[in-house]
Amino acid sequence: MEGLSLGNFIQFKQMLVAQLKLTFREKQAWFWGIFFPVILMTIFMVIFSGNSDNGFSAKVAIVDENPNPTSDMLLSQINQISVLEIESGEPVTRESADKLVEEKDVDAAIVLPESLETTSILLVVNKENEQSVITQALAGMLDNFIQQANLVAVNATPMYELHFESITSSDNDLNYTDFLLTGMIALSIAQGGMFGMVDLVEMRRKGLLKRLRMTPASMNLFGLSDMVMRLLFSVVQIILLSLIGVLIFGAKLYINFPSLLVVFLLGALSFNALGYFFSSFSKTTEAYMGVANIISFLMMFLSGVFIPVETMPEWIQPISNFLPLTYFVEGLRESMIYSTSILSSTIWFGIGIMVLWGAFTYIIGSWIYKTKSIVATR
Amino acid sequence: MTCVEAFRKRGEEMKVLEVKNLKKSFGSIRAVEDISFSVHSGEIFTIIGPNGAGKTTTLEMIEGLVPPDHGEITFGDLSWSKHEHTIKQKIGVQPQSSAMFDLLTPEENLTLFATFYVKARPTEEILELINLSDNRKNQVKKLSGGQRQRLAIGLAMISDPDIIFLDEPTTGLDPQARRNIWDIILELKKLGKTTILTTHYMEEAEKLSDRVCIVDQGKIVTLDTPTALIAQLTKDREVHLSFLDGADAAQDANSFATVLDSVTRTELDGTSLKLWTEHPEDTLYDLFGFTKEKNYQVEQVSIHEMSLEDVFIAFTGKEWRD
Repeated sequence: MEGLSLGNFIQFKQMLVAQLKLTFREKQAWFWGIFFPVILMTIFMVIFSGNSDNGFSAKVAIVDENPNPTSDMLLSQINQISVLEIESGEPVTRESADKLVEEKDVDAAIVLPESLETTSILLVVNKENEQSVITQALAGMLDNFIQQANLVAVNATPMYELHFESITSSDNDLNYTDFLLTGMIALSIAQGGMFGMVDLVEMRRKGLLKRLRMTPASMNLFGLSDMVMRLLFSVVQIILLSLIGVLIFGAKLYINFPSLLVVFLLGALSFNALGYFFSSFSKTTEAYMGVANIISFLMMFLSGVFIPVETMPEWIQPISNFLPLTYFVEGLRESMIYSTSILSSTIWFGIGIMVLWGAFTYIIGSWIYKTKSIVATR
Repeated sequence: MTCVEAFRKRGEEMKVLEVKNLKKSFGSIRAVEDISFSVHSGEIFTIIGPNGAGKTTTLEMIEGLVPPDHGEITFGDLSWSKHEHTIKQKIGVQPQSSAMFDLLTPEENLTLFATFYVKARPTEEILELINLSDNRKNQVKKLSGGQRQRLAIGLAMISDPDIIFLDEPTTGLDPQARRNIWDIILELKKLGKTTILTTHYMEEAEKLSDRVCIVDQGKIVTLDTPTALIAQLTKDREVHLSFLDGADAAQDANSFATVLDSVTRTELDGTSLKLWTEHPEDTLYDLFGFTKEKNYQVEQVSIHEMSLEDVFIAFTGKEWRD
C-alpha cells in the first residue's frame, strides 16, 4: 500500500510539473491571465481614480471696475472659496474678462456690482460651457451669496440650515482604487476559471483524454494536478494585481488572511466548476469560448466589479444578486479591505451562494459528461 | 527439433489474446458484425481492411476504450471487467490520433508517461529505439509527422509491455518515414513483443506480418499467414510477354504456348501475350527456345507476383482502395 501511495505521489508530482510547464509555455495563458487584467485595471484606475482626490475646482476672472462696499464684501467672500482659482489673483477689466472667457482661459467671469445700489451679480460663461457642471456649480454658489445678501437686507434670520455629514460602513474608508483593485482581482480569478477549462475541450478534441485513459494513469490525480496549477496561477494574479494597486495607485488593503484564503479557494473552485460545466457541452474550443465570453461579459458589468451594485438601476439589481461573481467580489472586498473575520456571517452568506453555484454546475457538468459520454464517443 | 526449438515453438503458439464474437453498433451503423480471432505470443498480427471496415473499433474494444455490445476479450486469464488495472499495465497503445502533449518535449512526454506504470523502461533507451535522441529537447509541436508517430510508438513502449497495439502507425507518412516505422516494428519483434497492427497498406501488411486478418464491413474476410493467403488463391502464376516483331509473332507464340502442358490459359492482346502457368521457369525456357528458333525479338517479359491485394479482390469481389 505504501508503494502505491509513493507511486501516486511521484505520478502527481510529474503531472504537476507537466501542467506548470504547459501553462508556462502557453502564451495565451500569460496574456489573458496576467497581462490583460493588469492592463484593464491600469486603464480603469487611470481613468476613474486619477482625479478622485482633487474634487471640484474652477478658474474664474473677477471684474470689479468700480470698487464699492458691496463688491468688496463679495470679493472677500469669493477669495475664501478654496476651489475657486482667481485668474491673475486680482480683478481684471470687463474687456479682458470677456476675452479670457471667449478663449476658454477661464471657466467663467464674475462681474461684481458697480455701485452700492446695484443688486445684481453677472456670471459670464462661454456659450459652449453653458450647461457644464462647473457653470451650474458657480451659478449655485453665487445664488447662495445673493440669498444670504437678501436675508441680511431684510434683517431676517434663516429658519432652515443644511448640515452635512458623511458615513462609511466601516472604520476604513472605501475609495475607488481599493474598490476597483479588489473587483479586478475577483474578475481575473473568475475569468481564469471560466476560460481556463477550454484546455479540457482541446484535450478531448485532440484525443489526449482518451490517450490518458488508455494508460493506468489516475484521472483523479490528473484533475487534481490541473486544479493545483490553476490555484497557483491565481495566487500569482492576486499578488501581482495587489502589488500594482498598492504600489502604483496607492490602494490601501487591510487583509484578513483566513477570510481571504477561504474566499479565494472556494471562489476559484466555484468558477472552475463553471468552466467545467461549459466544457461538458462544448464540442469545439470556439463554442466554449463563445459561451464563456457571453457569461463573463455579463458578469463583468453586472457584478459590481467596476461600479457598485447599489448604484445600478433597480431592475438590474436582482440579476446582480443572482450572479456568483457579485458574491466573490463582495467576499474579496470584505477580506481584503474591511478585514472581516472568517467568523462573520456577512462572509458566509456570500460564500454560500457562490459555492451553491459551483456545486450545482459541477454536478450538472459531470452528469452531462457521463450521459453524453463525450470522452468515449468517437 | 531440439528441446529449445520445441520450447520456443510452444511459446509462439501461446495465445496472449483471444477475441470471441465481438459485435458493436453506433446507432444504426454496425461497425463490427462478428469478429473472433486469437493472437500468439511474439507475433506481428495485422488487421487490414479499407477505411471504415471496423479495424479501429475492433482495436478500441480490445484496448478497453469502447465496451463491446456482445463478445468476449481475454488476455490469457485476464478480462477487462475484472482486471482493468493489470491489463493496462501489460499493454501499450499507439492510437490513430497519436495524441500527446504538444508543448512538452519528447523526453518530458516519456518521463510523464513512465510515472503511470509500475515498471518503466529508461527514457533514454526508448528515445534511442525510436531514433529521437537528437530531438529530445524540442517541443512536440515542432516535430515532423514521422517523428511524432515514432514518439507515439515510444509512448506505447515506455512500460515495456508484452503486447503493443499500433493503430495505422504509417498513415499519411512519406515512404522514408514509413520505412523507419517498419524498422521499429521489426525491432519490437526481435525483442519478443507481440504486436497487433492495423493498416490499410497491403504492402506493409505483407512485409511485416506473421499473420494477416482481412476485414471488410465489420467481418473477417480471411485470416492466415500472407504466404498461405496468396497460395490459397491459385497455384498459377501470371507471365507477361511482348514482342517487337508485331502481332504475328505474338500470335505464333500463343499457338506454341497453348499446347505446352504447363500452361493452363492464355490471353492475346495485339503484340502482347499473357499466360498462366504453375511452373513459370519451365514455360519460359520452352518459350525462349521457340522464339530463338523463330528469331523473334522479345521486348519485355515479367512474372506477376500475387499479392494480398489479389487476395482481397478474390475474397470480396471489390477493387482495393488505399
